[in-house]
Amino acid sequence: MIHDYLSLSILLFCLGVLGVISRRNVFTVFMSIELMLNAANLAFIALARLHESMDGHVLALLVMAVAAAEAALALAVVILLHKHTGKVDTNVFSLLKG
Amino acid sequence: MLSQWLFYGFATLAVVGALGLILSRHPMNGAMCFVITLISQAGLYALLSASLLFALQLIVYAGAIMSLILFIIMFLNIQPADLPQETGRWGFLIGGSLAVVPIGLLLLKIVRSLPAGETTIIGNGFGHVKSVGLVLFRDWLLPFEIVSILLLVALVGAIVLAGKKETIQ
Repeated sequence: MIHDYLSLSILLFCLGVLGVISRRNVFTVFMSIELMLNAANLAFIALARLHESMDGHVLALLVMAVAAAEAALALAVVILLHKHTGKVDTNVFSLLKG
Repeated sequence: MLSQWLFYGFATLAVVGALGLILSRHPMNGAMCFVITLISQAGLYALLSASLLFALQLIVYAGAIMSLILFIIMFLNIQPADLPQETGRWGFLIGGSLAVVPIGLLLLKIVRSLPAGETTIIGNGFGHVKSVGLVLFRDWLLPFEIVSILLLVALVGAIVLAGKKETIQ
């Protein structure tokens, strides 16, 4: 039973990595990162159920807070870049390229 | 038995939502598919008897964070012509899966070698607000405070980045 949950978590994480690799839309890349965080949360909670300790729940709570902070900052950066270039393509955002 | 069927239903919905996220062209469709994934993950948390995390997943993730993302997507008013031309998308998908699938299979093998947990029935308020709060404020107090500072810094940073710039004369 726990194996099924951990396998699903691995599958979701791999799908998130694929989304980050293969897409160029900045929103899709951002939501794929959120998907990876969620897969990690699922693994934390499944392992907390396995060991019957609630430290995994607390860790998932902290991951949620970090995801909220990341969402606020990343969307602010996206708004700024969209104002600057008028596009949502990650290949356009190459200001830091030397 | 019922929990097994519920698990398969929620797992299918989560994978379908994730596939819709990475395959749909417009970010709005992807965001709606991702909401399906988040809600079915909340169901999985409920199956793992994590009732506090179930509520927080629905309120914070599917409620707050996703509505923020949807609000920004609608705020930017992206037309289909403004979307990036992703011509080599399938090539990148196949190449990326060539790199990711072996890592996933290795992780699956590691998971299969874990000892199979007996699914015992646990009571005593496992995963309820009170017990999780006791663990949070006894053993994890310093990380909790650090996360609160992180949220404050993110709030200030978001306002500084996205706020209106007053040009200094």
